[in-house]
Amino acid sequence: MVATAQNTGKITQVIGSTLDAEFAENRLPRIYNALQCKVDRKVGTRVMQETLTCEVASHLGGGRVRAVVLGSTDGLQRGVDIVDTGSPVKVPVGKETLGRVFNLVGAPIDGRGDVGAKDHRPIHHEPAPFAELTPKTEQLVTGIKVIDLLAPFVRGGKTGLFGGAGLGKTVIIQEMIARIAREHSGYSVFAGVGERTREGNDLWLEMQEAEFKTAEGQVKKVIEHTAMVFGQMNEPPGARLRVALSALTMAEYFRDESGADTMLFIDNIFRFSQAGSEVSALLGRMPSAVGYQPTLSTEMGELQERITSTSRGAVTSVQAVYVPADDLTDPAPATAFTHLDAFIVLARSISEKGIYPAIDPLASSSRILDAQYIGDRHYNCAKRVQQILQRYRDLQDIIAILGVDELSEEDKLLVARARKIERFFSQPFYVAETFTGFPGNYTQLEDCIRSFEEICDGKHDALPEQAFMYVGSVEEAVEKAKKLQA
Amino acid sequence: MAKARQIVKRRKAVTNIRKITKTMQLIATARYQQAYQRATATQPYTRKITQLVEELSAAAEGQIHHELLEDNPDAPKDLLLVLTSNRGLCGGYNASILRKAMTHLGDHTDKATELHVVGKKGNAYFRFMRRTVDRAITNIDDRPRFEQVEPIATELMSRYKAGELRSVYVAFMRFISTGRQIPEVMRLLPLSRSEEKATGAPVVAAAHAAAQYDFSPEPAELLKVLLPQTVKVRLYQCFTDAAVSEQVARMVAMKAATDAAGDMIKLLSRQFNRARQSQITMELLDIVGCAEALK
Repeated sequence: MVATAQNTGKITQVIGSTLDAEFAENRLPRIYNALQCKVDRKVGTRVMQETLTCEVASHLGGGRVRAVVLGSTDGLQRGVDIVDTGSPVKVPVGKETLGRVFNLVGAPIDGRGDVGAKDHRPIHHEPAPFAELTPKTEQLVTGIKVIDLLAPFVRGGKTGLFGGAGLGKTVIIQEMIARIAREHSGYSVFAGVGERTREGNDLWLEMQEAEFKTAEGQVKKVIEHTAMVFGQMNEPPGARLRVALSALTMAEYFRDESGADTMLFIDNIFRFSQAGSEVSALLGRMPSAVGYQPTLSTEMGELQERITSTSRGAVTSVQAVYVPADDLTDPAPATAFTHLDAFIVLARSISEKGIYPAIDPLASSSRILDAQYIGDRHYNCAKRVQQILQRYRDLQDIIAILGVDELSEEDKLLVARARKIERFFSQPFYVAETFTGFPGNYTQLEDCIRSFEEICDGKHDALPEQAFMYVGSVEEAVEKAKKLQA
Repeated sequence: MAKARQIVKRRKAVTNIRKITKTMQLIATARYQQAYQRATATQPYTRKITQLVEELSAAAEGQIHHELLEDNPDAPKDLLLVLTSNRGLCGGYNASILRKAMTHLGDHTDKATELHVVGKKGNAYFRFMRRTVDRAITNIDDRPRFEQVEPIATELMSRYKAGELRSVYVAFMRFISTGRQIPEVMRLLPLSRSEEKATGAPVVAAAHAAAQYDFSPEPAELLKVLLPQTVKVRLYQCFTDAAVSEQVARMVAMKAATDAAGDMIKLLSRQFNRARQSQITMELLDIVGCAEALK
């Protein structure tokens, strides 16, 4: 049922960020179809007319539909005409989107005029067919020691960054953009979901300055290979619920059409679940565990299943996931967990020690942390490091009560090494240069593995713990120890 | 509720540990008093006999030659006797003695050092460090008796006299007061005056040295008996000092452990209460939410 002539209805009810509209019984807009209406907004003394987009969420019977509003409902009135566009929200896709910043309905918000895209795609569609999926197992080296060693990223896979408030998720995701997107030859798409608008702006300005070299040796701006979509904290829940899909649609197009490796960064996927829960009750669904929407895992599944690598091209995605009250068992982060190839868990106990990135080495892991994919040497080294840290954690109660002197000599040595390893996990970031005062550091995988092996073997037992803070390879720690002694 | 239950389990474990450390603290206190009396009871005797020998040897300067006073520069090796405890749970007691002993071993590398270790903890440490212990003595408990120490001293002396050893040192915890014990490496042999001053052993005041004695029998004859006795008594004093220091260390360590466990129980209780309360709140919210939705 394609609307040839304009299918117009009337708004009958507005509740928060949802509205009900009445259409002719035989011409109901389909679920997920975009509806548009005009709304008068006062800006100072002038009155501006804006187009407001809504998305049909349910049919209430008798010609009435309930829709989620993808913008502010300020100034909306009952009885206003509302038009069925006949298709879901469509966003511009293709090379024209590169270097631009969009909102969730695909309108540019960077003040540079029309995009002029040749192609548009609906934000809702089926995930890639079963037979086309090609799971990847190649490691994507980030140059961050703790990640490369214990939770290696998968090229063409999905990685989640889990962390409570203020642990540095956004910093790590920006660092990833700095590290991967700069050296990455394909395109990148960034989705800002319900995070601070200021951070989005910072990132945009930074990308305009940052440069990288293409394979042909040309110097190009990072922004020229990046499209950004924002639906930040100030936006109503409907916007935050759909912005990830808009960005994903653009990334999917690059994957399918250009065949190049595409990067998708999402900050923050939890806001997507949160927005869903905000509109859920308004749509008349009964709240489920901890007040979340009953459709939590369905919504997450619909989004995550589309972020995937196919035989035509790969999408590598890095997603930040906020963990409410540092509780990983909360339903929102828990549903995100299942979809990921690698998960990096940030822990408050580590950030309290002043170790950044505050990655919990025992809770973080990866699907490809397996000798079959990363090789025996890397695997064995990672397992050894984990064993030492696990033993240290087991001993921590004893140390807290009886003191370190009561441990056996073997355990004392192990504790000393574990503490060094813990500190060695800290690393200076490119994006944090101005805060830490240390230049960013990229540690080659080979150096990283060798360094940890040497520490485990006890080659560096003589160095003070402080020497392991914020260095790259272990040779730098040796240098730092000399400097500390001088 | 999984989290709350885990916390309860941990709290139970910590409570049990506290019970143990508390008991150990009480036992250590009782033992400390006994050990303290033993150590202080022998002190005046040790001091007096050392002083007497000093004066004697001063008076007989140049006339007598006793093997225990002579240096043995050509002997093939040194000997270090390390006094540690048989039991743990005494804080940094063993660690600080062993650290001292290790620095001593590191400083005296010109000749091989024979290592005699008293106490299980010290033996375990050297085994871990892959340092061969030439003799392990573990049958002396925290109440050393003179009959146990005497044979050790006798054997050391006879070997020294035979010219096998260049020197004999003892690493132990010197007891100064209840609030202060310091790890020390003391030279037991040879017994020369200058060395005694250097190691901080009871030093004879200058005024005393001037006192005049009439000796009967002759000083040389007297020294033959007195010198070995001095060595034995001084070694015994090391053992009693070590024993009382161990009890003090245990007392302090167990007090600290009991306090730390108490703090941890408080913390865990608070965490548990919070976990339980949030569980209740969450359930209430779920119930109220559902009831509201069903209206």
